[in-house]
Amino acid sequence: MNARIERDNIVTQALGQIGNCGVFLLQILAAIPRSLRYGRETVRQLWFVGAMSLIIIMTCGLFVGMVLELQLYHVLSMFGSTSMSGTVVAIATYRELGPVVTALLFAGRAGTAITAEIGLMRATDQISAMELMAVDPLAYVAAPRFLAGLVAMPLLCCVFCALAVFGGHLVGVSWLGIDNGTFWSNMTATVDVWQDIVSGVVWKSLAFGAVVALIAVFQGYTAPPTSEGVAYATTRTVVASSIAILALDFVLTAFLM
Amino acid sequence: MNAAAPPDDTLIRIRGLTTVLNGKKVFDALDLDIPRGKVTAIMGPSGTGKTTLLKHITGQMHGDAGQILVDGQNVPELSREALYALREKIGYLFQNSALLTDFDVFENVAFPLRQHTKLPEVLIRNLVLTKLQAVGLRGAAGLMPSELSGGMARRVALARAIVFDPMLILYDEPFVGLDPIALNQVLKLIRTLNETLGITSVLVAHELDAIKQVADHIFLIANGKVVAQGDPRTIADDGSPWTRQFFGGEADGPVPFQYPAGDYAEALGFPRRGA
Repeated sequence: MNARIERDNIVTQALGQIGNCGVFLLQILAAIPRSLRYGRETVRQLWFVGAMSLIIIMTCGLFVGMVLELQLYHVLSMFGSTSMSGTVVAIATYRELGPVVTALLFAGRAGTAITAEIGLMRATDQISAMELMAVDPLAYVAAPRFLAGLVAMPLLCCVFCALAVFGGHLVGVSWLGIDNGTFWSNMTATVDVWQDIVSGVVWKSLAFGAVVALIAVFQGYTAPPTSEGVAYATTRTVVASSIAILALDFVLTAFLM
Repeated sequence: MNAAAPPDDTLIRIRGLTTVLNGKKVFDALDLDIPRGKVTAIMGPSGTGKTTLLKHITGQMHGDAGQILVDGQNVPELSREALYALREKIGYLFQNSALLTDFDVFENVAFPLRQHTKLPEVLIRNLVLTKLQAVGLRGAAGLMPSELSGGMARRVALARAIVFDPMLILYDEPFVGLDPIALNQVLKLIRTLNETLGITSVLVAHELDAIKQVADHIFLIANGKVVAQGDPRTIADDGSPWTRQFFGGEADGPVPFQYPAGDYAEALGFPRRGA
């Protein structure tokens, strides 16, 4: 009986959080026109969540491409189709791995930083100070970070995919001896710009960027003003973002493919 | 929208403010008038809602009933735009200073100017340096908040609060954690700002000795009401049990030392007498 009540409470809380997050999204969207006057702050956040995430995104993209090529080479060699390995690396990266892995890394690197920063701003009364200085924190703090996440994610995803293909080329052509011309010509002949690149890299990463940025800002904004509260909020950002990314990926794949 | 406008000599008029938080009545039909151009102190035992009262005045919190007229405007009824316009005329000094940690001292003081004006950079620089000079920290303009002591951070926050030359400054526990030198500096600043700029000041504090030096009038709040008020130098002698206990620091009196709780012996597991 107690376990059932506890389970019901967890479900109720989760639904409540999703509802509050939806209302918060509407508040941010309403604050975006007011936040346009804080363009400098948006650029600063774009640098912080985008440019500062480049190293981890580039490194991971390179290794994901290298590992994928290595695995595919061994599997495809059984069928004498190793020349197609580059194509599979590209399609898998553009359609799935690029947007999903970039979003997961983005949530871990930039999402947690956003949550912790806003949570600490609230705990140290900086958000209240802004309100009392007649500066709307939704327009000055929340909206620029949300916009920065929305813009940074597709760009980071492009970098991730480029490095993954480069990693695949490095292993397939330079190391395993696949013909360079075959590697590229098979890829260009098979990869479809709209079906693979636009729907994967652009639409998916835009959606993931919005979700991760929203969750990160929401968790920071609503974090209890204590050290424990900020710590929990940061953890929740990673957990909620990861679940949301993978669930949304399934939905988007079903609609876009 | 508003009831009768307050007379010119009253900047803040609170009437019938009733607020219930978590089932506890913080304010019970509270009435209070804060005169314009004076330094007014609000005192009372911990947990009586002194900071909450400041939050009501700035519109961060709203009560369940009553009016809060600030410069003739009823705060709970103001639109977001009107409330923000009113806040531009109010300075607020937080207990923990609440400086923006990403910005240095100069940018913290310049922040309200940059957000609300399109002044040329030269004028912003001069205004900020003037305010920093007033609080004695012009030389610290390039320091980050993490490099400041508690007293210095409080003075930077004060410079930020007065950068717009507000009509009203609210001080939330401005003397907590200050050494005697910093305390005297802050006291002198509050008095100087009041006398030179004619700013109305409202202080929430516990330190009667400091309050005596700076305040023109004291309100003592307890049980959700004003239980005593008067001149800082004579209020302690008015003979009421509230002032006797609060200013005399007595454990027993109208303000209970113990938070409401059940039977002590029972809580410790001892058998009841006669049981």
